[in-house]
Amino acid sequence: MNRDSLRYRVTGFFVGWLALALVVFSAAVYLGVKTFLAKSLEHTLADNAQNIASHYVVQREAKGETWFLKEMTEDFPPDTGDQFVRVTQGGKVLYTSGDMRNPYVSTSKLPLPSDPAWVNAIHRETAESGQRLMIYTFAYPAPDGPPVLVESAATIDPIKHVLRSLLLILLLTTPIILVVASIGGYALMSRSLRPVVVLTDQAERVGRKYMGERLPVIRSGDELERLSLSLNRMIDRLEDTLAHNHRFSADASHELRTPLTIIRGQLEELTQRPDLSAEAKDDVGSALEETDRMSHIVESLMAITRLDCGGERIQMVPVDLMAMASVTVDQMHLLADEKNISLICETGPPVYVAGDPMRLKQVMVNLLDNAIKYTTPGGAVSVRVAAEGEQAVMIVADTGIGIPEEALPFVFDRFYRADKARSRESGGVGLGLAIVKSICNAHDGSISVKSGDGRGTMMQVDLPLLRPSPTHAEDAGQVMEPAHRAHSLGHALARERMEEKETRPASAS
Amino acid sequence: MRILIIEDEPKVSELVKRGLVAERYAVDTVANGREGLEFTEVYSYDLIILDLMLPGLAGPEVLQRIRRTNTSVPVIALTARDSIDDKVQLFELGVDDYVTKPFAFAELLVRVKALLRRGPVSRSSTLRIGDLELDRLTQQVKRSGRRVDLTAKEYSLLEYLMQNAERVLSRNMIIEHVWDQSFDGITNIVDVYVRHLRSKVDDGYNSKMIHTVRGTGYVLRATGIEP
Repeated sequence: MNRDSLRYRVTGFFVGWLALALVVFSAAVYLGVKTFLAKSLEHTLADNAQNIASHYVVQREAKGETWFLKEMTEDFPPDTGDQFVRVTQGGKVLYTSGDMRNPYVSTSKLPLPSDPAWVNAIHRETAESGQRLMIYTFAYPAPDGPPVLVESAATIDPIKHVLRSLLLILLLTTPIILVVASIGGYALMSRSLRPVVVLTDQAERVGRKYMGERLPVIRSGDELERLSLSLNRMIDRLEDTLAHNHRFSADASHELRTPLTIIRGQLEELTQRPDLSAEAKDDVGSALEETDRMSHIVESLMAITRLDCGGERIQMVPVDLMAMASVTVDQMHLLADEKNISLICETGPPVYVAGDPMRLKQVMVNLLDNAIKYTTPGGAVSVRVAAEGEQAVMIVADTGIGIPEEALPFVFDRFYRADKARSRESGGVGLGLAIVKSICNAHDGSISVKSGDGRGTMMQVDLPLLRPSPTHAEDAGQVMEPAHRAHSLGHALARERMEEKETRPASAS
Repeated sequence: MRILIIEDEPKVSELVKRGLVAERYAVDTVANGREGLEFTEVYSYDLIILDLMLPGLAGPEVLQRIRRTNTSVPVIALTARDSIDDKVQLFELGVDDYVTKPFAFAELLVRVKALLRRGPVSRSSTLRIGDLELDRLTQQVKRSGRRVDLTAKEYSLLEYLMQNAERVLSRNMIIEHVWDQSFDGITNIVDVYVRHLRSKVDDGYNSKMIHTVRGTGYVLRATGIEP
């Protein structure tokens, strides 16, 4: 379960609040019941004491001590029952019901009600046998001496028992309620979020492919319908922006190219003039070289812009990276030989990806070109292509000068040069790796670099692997239009590759 | 040979016109698509150079209309766009060839000449420039009767240079012909191969055949005159 998912968080939030509410509720119930039981016991005791006073103590004078004792023994027999009654006058015990049975409570050591604060009130004592007792003392003003004090007592054990049961019930039910509520809440959230999941998947598809598709509108009349509608409107605007961007880059490219064409043409005319000194001719040649460089920058920038804003439709055909790597290495052998660098391609089984053969080849060419450029004579450059899990991996490694660690995060930025002087001297414009990155991104892939000063550089390209099955080839053709054109391009490339192999009269080195 | 240039940028059409006139072609220029269409209806042209980014009637539209009445006239497109998708589209539209702005005039000229002599192209099995001889059947190269051993790439590079002898070929054109466009960015691959080829073809001979034209490209000449 994803701990950050809305489902999880909302359910957690809801269950948290529910738990808090349940705790407050339980505490209130517990305290309420406790107070209620104590009060009702107090009332019972007070009633009892008053009752004894008004029925027995009052008539004691008229009917005599014997009658009183008899009546009291009859109604409040000693050594039985679950309550305790004691009648005293001036420190003399007139009657006591003695120890309580069931459960046994020893009462013989209970102090006589000497404290005036106890009179007509409740006080608590601990019996010798350990129980807590609640005692009500009622004072009856006797005409012949000190007031008669009637004590009525009971243990608070029953209350304790009830409260313990209540606590147990609350402790057991609260977690059960919470578990049931969280399961229910999670299910409810999942149910209401299911359309959102569908929307998300669709939105991702639309984002990755062309903008032509729209999200399914959920006709539920609620927030989700609004969400799907506004997402669609957002895609509309995005599409507009992209189209605008694409138009802009096409216009900009045209506007830049026209003056470049004119400059180039006029410089060329100039070189044809017979009266031009050798020195002037050299200058014009140099200017021509610069227009070349500028055209190249314009082209590269436009290529990156188109790739990044999705304006360029990538042709998706099955491409065998392995075969492509070995052909590219063959074609670039001489560049490495020139610098006495060994250039090797580790051969292996075919590794297929869906992609634009021209663009993918450009990735290889640019990476190899860089590797050769920044490797000192006597070094080595190697290419390895392999399938790893769901990824096709291509690694170009060299034993070159490496890239300082602080420069690593920027090597794929436009116009970034790790070593200004050196790379300018070797003729780069600082866009090669930016193009490589854009191409990788456009193929749903990525590129990463590992390097250190003087420890060589390792560039790794990861692309989604295409399992070589006949249905795949068809899929690639159907989904990614224009299919027949793409195929013919792919075939053209394959044909060229065959020719390459066949027409080699001698070895390449 | 009469050529029509449909291009809205006067300086560009003027440059191309001057260059083509110097090569003894008759050239008309028009600045918009509508006028261009009228010209093609009135006169008969051997070749049309068409800018695709035209104001008013756009280039592709002009081309389609031309193709409706005249399917045979060769058309070279001048395009600012260089994505592969566009190029494929161009050929589907009925363009015979294209150059991407900014182009070297030499490149345009080679394409013009290639299209104009398209009919009876002599693809004889042997190319002979000066004392250099290339046999397409056996893929053997000889200079002054002495055999020159070449790799596959050097062979196709030399074949391309010899086919277009006396014409300056830009690095761009060489890359497109001998490699493929993925090598666009790294033009020094051409320089390296030309250097190797030169050492095999020219070393030990007094008259050098392969020459560098600074800022433009390379040219193979029968005589050893510096350009």
